[in-house]
Amino acid sequence: MLLACSKLTVTYGGRIALKSFDLTLQPGEVRALIGPNGSGKSTALQAMAGLLRPSGGRAVIDGVAVDAIPRRRLARQLAYLPQQPTAPDEMTVAQLVRQGRFAHVGLLRSYSADDEATIGWALESTGLLALADRPLRELSGGERQRAWISAAIAQEARILLLDEPTSFLDIGYQVEIIDLVYRLSRERGVSIVMAIHDLNQAMSVCDRISLLAKGETVFDGDPKDLAETGLIETVFRVRGTFVPIAPNAPPHFDVELAHRQMRDGVLAR
Amino acid sequence: MTPVPGIARNRRGLSSLPALAGLLLLTLGLSVFLGVADLSVSDIMSVLAGNGSPEAQSIILDIRLPRIVTGGLAGIHFAVAGLILQTITRNPLADPSIMGVSQGATLSVTLFLLFSVFLRDPGTTARITEMPLEWLPAVGMVGGLIAGAAVYALAFRRDLGPLRITLCGIAIGAVLHAIAIGLIAGWGSARIEVLLEWLSGSLYARSWEHALFLAPFTIAGLLALLPIRRALDLLQFEAPVARSFGLPYRQHFSFALFLSCGLAASAVGAVGPIVFVGLIVPHLARALAGAKTQLLLPLTVTLGAITITSGDLIGRLVSQADEIPIGAVTAVCGVPLLIALLRRTP
Repeated sequence: MLLACSKLTVTYGGRIALKSFDLTLQPGEVRALIGPNGSGKSTALQAMAGLLRPSGGRAVIDGVAVDAIPRRRLARQLAYLPQQPTAPDEMTVAQLVRQGRFAHVGLLRSYSADDEATIGWALESTGLLALADRPLRELSGGERQRAWISAAIAQEARILLLDEPTSFLDIGYQVEIIDLVYRLSRERGVSIVMAIHDLNQAMSVCDRISLLAKGETVFDGDPKDLAETGLIETVFRVRGTFVPIAPNAPPHFDVELAHRQMRDGVLAR
Repeated sequence: MTPVPGIARNRRGLSSLPALAGLLLLTLGLSVFLGVADLSVSDIMSVLAGNGSPEAQSIILDIRLPRIVTGGLAGIHFAVAGLILQTITRNPLADPSIMGVSQGATLSVTLFLLFSVFLRDPGTTARITEMPLEWLPAVGMVGGLIAGAAVYALAFRRDLGPLRITLCGIAIGAVLHAIAIGLIAGWGSARIEVLLEWLSGSLYARSWEHALFLAPFTIAGLLALLPIRRALDLLQFEAPVARSFGLPYRQHFSFALFLSCGLAASAVGAVGPIVFVGLIVPHLARALAGAKTQLLLPLTVTLGAITITSGDLIGRLVSQADEIPIGAVTAVCGVPLLIALLRRTP
């Protein structure tokens, strides 16, 4: 067991953003965090990244609390990518990805051939080699997001925390990033915790899934089991059905839209 | 250096540094040769060779050279302080005044001149020549540092974010400035002339003592920058991003802030609050460096020295004996430059 959260609680002012959050992460596991807006997904990720001081409980890596690990040592274990990060205008893709090596080179050590090779690998696996010298401001939203992911994987951490890495991307880029996440976990044994809004993408890529509602974990387990609980409909206040798509694959959630009922009603009349 | 294919080199950035170094030498040379006192080129050459008339020697060695060196060093201080502040606060309009440094220095110099009269015999009227002018740089610097520390302490009690720092700096700076102006207004004496001259930012009568006062800070400040280059790169990001890249954000943010305050406060002490240099020079350097960010610091240093030296030269030449203070020249030239730079920004 690599990363473990036990009874992690975070409060902002008087409001409880995350309540008694439990999670264990095995090497090479992909974990999806789903839940409505404001359900505590980002808070959970930030607490796991040691960026928030929990008011109760703790997150530990190999038995050591994350907020007790010095930042640079922690960055070699764990990479965290927030939602919609911003970079200086004139920074290029390659310069951004280089920052991912800070955890390894520190303030003074010069970049070794290994570091350069890792930067090249990170650019290549995100399909950015050709764009390496372009300033970030000239890129499309999808390219920029891939550049940030590239910087995070250049960190070569065993744990990768991604906060909605596919939001604001078109479906093509979404699939690319989901595939990249899967490859990282299977080919390089990276453990990934990812907050994500697309339920079907979450179910298809993850090994385990956590469903949060108002800061509380209402489900933690196999994505296939989630389909049978009926929790999706109550937590997200929607109606829909799980449709099997392939044997051994988690089913797809087909959401019912209000206007479809309306249209059907009109046709029936 | 990078084995990644497709990395093009930015030629503009590479060629601009030698060109600027040439320009710096040219400005320095012109500043030595041109001035209010009309010295012939041959006189000046013989002084530089170690001979020359006593009068020419005194003008070159005791007046022009220390003035040029002091100005150049102060220019480097303001420019580098501005670059650091703009980088770490992610605020393109940041300059040393957002840390309250100039205003703190102004107040401390005002108070010092106001009370220094009591340190002398009560019977004598204090004339400018009798005032303890040699203390002004140190007093100004201490005042600037105290103001910077106050801003830091106020912001530190909260989250120490760039926005918090800026707001605290503006608030404290405004209060200190108001107190200083109030003191000056209700005071009216011969000392006001010294104060006004210092306030407008001037290189008039700057001696080797001023240059020697600044030099240790210049050397220490620039040396301290070298090991924190990567930290400064990371401080350009928001705190959560910098921290997850592995940077202990608070320590490095505080150190960079301390460094820029030290550079700015020592320069303000020596030459008064010269405005716009700390704001404009980093922008010029950035425009020249382009994607070659490793050139940003050398370009800022060179341009900082050029700006003040040439600004002072213009001030001396335009109005001859009644020279225009450098602070006024940089402000007048700085505004159009700032507008031009802003038009370039997308």
